[in-house]
This record gives sequence, C-alpha cells and structure tokens, in this order.
Amino acid sequence: MYVLGVTDSGAGDAPLERAADMIVDRLSRAGRVGVLRYDATIADGTADLRASGLTPGGDVTYALGADGDWSATGTERSIEDVLESLALECSYAVVVGHELPSYPSVVVGDRRDDDLSDSVITAVQNPGELDIEAVVSDLEATEPYETLDSLVAQIKRSPAAERAGAIATFTGRVRAKDDEDDPRTKYLEFEKYEGVADERMAALEAELEAREGVYGVLLYHRTGIVADGDDIVHVVVLAGHRTEAFRTVEDGINRLKDEVPLFKKEITVDDEFWVHESSE
Amino acid sequence: MTTATAIEWKLFADLAEHAGTRTVTLEIDPETDTVGDALDALLEDQPDLAERVLDGGELRSQINVLRNGADVRSQEDGLETQLEDGDELALFPPVSGG
Repeated sequence: MYVLGVTDSGAGDAPLERAADMIVDRLSRAGRVGVLRYDATIADGTADLRASGLTPGGDVTYALGADGDWSATGTERSIEDVLESLALECSYAVVVGHELPSYPSVVVGDRRDDDLSDSVITAVQNPGELDIEAVVSDLEATEPYETLDSLVAQIKRSPAAERAGAIATFTGRVRAKDDEDDPRTKYLEFEKYEGVADERMAALEAELEAREGVYGVLLYHRTGIVADGDDIVHVVVLAGHRTEAFRTVEDGINRLKDEVPLFKKEITVDDEFWVHESSE
Repeated sequence: MTTATAIEWKLFADLAEHAGTRTVTLEIDPETDTVGDALDALLEDQPDLAERVLDGGELRSQINVLRNGADVRSQEDGLETQLEDGDELALFPPVSGG
C-alpha cells in the first residue's frame, strides 16, 4: 500500500478537499483507496452516532448496512493504527489534513518551496495546478507501506492459495540490546542500492517460488530510519506443506542478508557505526 | 578513432563517507579501459577511500565491485572486465541488511 499525505499550507479547507478528491478519484481507478481524514475536533468518538439517535455504549461501534456498507466510530486509534488496518485491503491510503514527515505528501497552499521537507512530492498554490499523473508516478516510486499482516493478507489472495496448506513467516526487528550490559540501540538506518537491491530481491523471490511445493514468496525490507522495537524485514512463504515453507523462509532471509545490497548503520545512546565494520 | 565517454561510480555506506560523495563521474576510453582502470582513476583523487578499500595495493576481498548490477568477480572478468559507455559501477562493503 502506498501512503500519500495531502496537507494544507494556507490554502484553506475547500481547496484541500478538492485536491484530495482529485487524487482519490485517480487512485481509485488503479486500486482500492483508503482515506484517513484527520480532524482534531473529534473529541468523543461515539458522539456522531449518539447525535443520529443511537446509544452505542461501546468503545468501538460499527453501523452495518445490508450490502456491506458501513460507518464506524470509536476511541484510541492513532494514524499508525489506521494505516495498519487499511494496509490489509487497500492499495493506496490518502491521509488528509495531517503532516506525516516519514511519508510522501502533496502540499496545497502558498508556503515557499525552501521550507518543504524532502518527502514532499509536489507543492501547489491551488488544486488546479496539480499534475495528477506525475503525483501518481512519484508516489509509486516511493517505498510502499507493508506489515507482516498486510503481506500475509496479500499472499492469501494469490490464486495458488487453494493448494497451499502452510504459510511460514520471518520478521526481523530492531533489538535494543544484544547483551544485558549493551548500550541501548536507538535506531538503525538502512541505505539501499536503489534499483539493484530491488532487482536482486525480485530475482530471489522468483528463484524461491520456482521450488517444488512453494506457491508464493514475498520479501520486504524497510529503508531509512527504523526505531528500536520496529520491524525491519519480513519473509512470507505460501507453500503446500510446512517442511518446504520453513526451509524456504530460512533460505529466504539468509540469502537476503547475504546478497541484497543494503547497508545498516546502528545508532546507540553512546555511539554510531556501520554494522559491517564491527564484523570485518 | 576513440572518443572519451563517461561512466559513473556509486559509493555506499562508509565508503561514501570516506569519499565525501555518493557518486563520481569519470571519463573513460571504452576501447581500452577496464573496471580496474576506472577504480585506479577513482582512487587517484581519494586517498581516504584508497586506504579504506586497498590492502598492499590490492582491492580488499570484502569490498564488492558491481558493473550494471553484476558482481565483477563472480559474474564477469574481475578488474579486467572491459568498460562500456554509460556503465554504472558500484563499490561497497559487505552487505548488512536484515
């Protein structure tokens, strides 16, 4: 799932909404689109339903229609929580009205260009200036958002899933300490050889998928900053039986670590260093 | 007749830090120049980087050289590999993903 922020920089609500609508319309032609509207005035998640005459009385309330249409309200959800659930079923998520420094974004308004962060795809004075096709191709050149759950959901949708009795996964995450006395790791920063890393991951997926009894392989590795406790890498294998599923997951992560040009810098509370230097 | 053409080096991780840059463009002669010649030309202006990647004048075995995504040691003719116009060369330490 690709995540795109649409934020207001002095344009006001109506131009912001129009820009978001234009982008959502275009993305809807390519896949399922989730829209997250940030509104700080929502103070009581259940108030909307109460106002329409219902007394929900729960922390999460769904109102369901006969044909699968629905609305929902609730409490205690962050933007990250919503993205996690959208990633299970959407190809795109558009976040309107809240800055997301770590995701690509479109800015509407007259803020000067030199104030903009690197993650901004384009900044326009008004929605009419938007080159939607350029926004979509720039968005699709960014790193997609995936989680272990979204990758498992994706592989289950594979047509070959009807022959698969096993899904095995590996998740690599940032550990704060290897030993009790180690200085805490704050985060890791990954650099990728653009193009070549993706080619090698795709070739590795294809090679593993060619194995007897293996019906699907997904490899996903984050780049940039990954904080202590967060996931770095996932390997997901769809297979006929557990033996080839386990074997392929293990070979997949080992070969990814050996063959894909990714470079890891570790930043601890005391120090920072390239991880390969400590083992050369 | 030979015409000078260009190739690009890409540097990664601490090698980019030693060089103070991530990319270096060099003019080469595709009729005669090899990957080794491009490496010599790269390191000529980069004493810090040279010290990092060379050991007794030889390229350290842990340092990887790719030409257009292919490992020159295992998939091509090593540093003797002939260059072509527009080649992308990459120099990097052991990979450390995951």
